[in-house]
Amino acid sequence: MARSSTRVALLIGAAALILVLLSTGQYSSSSLGISSIREGYGIFERVVRAPFSFIAGIWNHYVFLVNTSYENETLQKELNELRVRTMRLQELENENERLRAMLDFKGKFHDFSLIPASVLSQDITHVFKTVIIDKGSRSGFGINTPILNPSGVIGKVIAVSPHTAQVLLITDPNSSIPALIESSRVKGIIKGRGESLLSLEYVRSVEDVKVGDSVVTSGLLGMFPKGLKLGYVREVRKDDRQIFADIIVEPCVKMEKIEEVFGIAQGVEVSD
Amino acid sequence: MLKVWKFQISLFGILFVAILMEATVIPAVWAPLRVDFFIGMIIGQIIFVPFSQGFPFVILGSLILQAFSGARLGLIPLLYIFIFLAIEVLKNFIYLENAYTQALLGIFFYFLFVVAMAFLSDFSYLKGTTSPLAAGAVLTGCLSPMMVYIVGRLQTVYELEYE
Repeated sequence: MARSSTRVALLIGAAALILVLLSTGQYSSSSLGISSIREGYGIFERVVRAPFSFIAGIWNHYVFLVNTSYENETLQKELNELRVRTMRLQELENENERLRAMLDFKGKFHDFSLIPASVLSQDITHVFKTVIIDKGSRSGFGINTPILNPSGVIGKVIAVSPHTAQVLLITDPNSSIPALIESSRVKGIIKGRGESLLSLEYVRSVEDVKVGDSVVTSGLLGMFPKGLKLGYVREVRKDDRQIFADIIVEPCVKMEKIEEVFGIAQGVEVSD
Repeated sequence: MLKVWKFQISLFGILFVAILMEATVIPAVWAPLRVDFFIGMIIGQIIFVPFSQGFPFVILGSLILQAFSGARLGLIPLLYIFIFLAIEVLKNFIYLENAYTQALLGIFFYFLFVVAMAFLSDFSYLKGTTSPLAAGAVLTGCLSPMMVYIVGRLQTVYELEYE
């Protein structure tokens, strides 16, 4: 009798707990001490990783240096080539600056302060796409901090603790970012599909959208700076009976291969 | 009483190692692959631990797992508690202490977990994940008896005896 009453009490307690958790809404996992779990895991992961990094360091810096001299020569050649290219790019950038000034455009991307971070872990479920990174509020990350790498936008921070942050990838079904087609300036919303592709929604069927068009952030809502690469149009399906076209976008970033990322420090000027 | 606490702390230690495997090591090998170690631990709880201790462990354990997912807060505990209660009912009808049964339960509840999560969001999100799903289910099936064994072994080490 006592045993069954314990069970009933536990069940009622669990049901109440779930109802409270579900009613707190999505992505409020920084509350209720859940962020401290991630924080603890961050420390645990670093401790576990340390001996492997040590061995990898010995391997990479001592054992694996057989062909270093040859590689050094090759890299030197590449470096010289890249220096020439950089000079050319510098010239183009200067020209671009002048044209911008002429058109009274304000330079928007010069004030970016990028914070580097590494990916600690992936989402444990199949459906949701989040990662945990090894930098948090102490490094300048906050809720909605945009996360990117040199290839393009990765996502935004949805929960943060002092030394870790949870990032919602743009491929997650809950992710939506204001975007535009770079060439035609057609605006829409980029949404995650749960798989490795994205969809560009709310673009009218009559708009000019072609396969291969580049999709960038539009800067609306102020969360993401304008002009960051999101992906390329992979497929366009138009139906005369529907108002909006069905546009599939392939992200610039291979989400399954991300290791190093950057966060844009908060307080950076963004376009609106 | 102290032994019970030590047993529970050891279980959470194992859970952290399982999370390290689930969230860091396995995705590093094959990004879309997800393997569930917790289902095996739940079966182990039902076989070796009384309800009054197993149930709080499942609640706390699933809350810890929630920290590693973008799912709506409470969804993961909800699904794992359902799995716990379902196996608790099933133990009256099937013999749980058989490794093959544990493996089959692991596979079944792995699929059930994924389907339930997709049902509560959208089934289209599972498109193109057939191979990692199948591999994940098979690995979960293989790992479930091992996790049950670990829970049982811990109970023996701490010389815990329940009625």
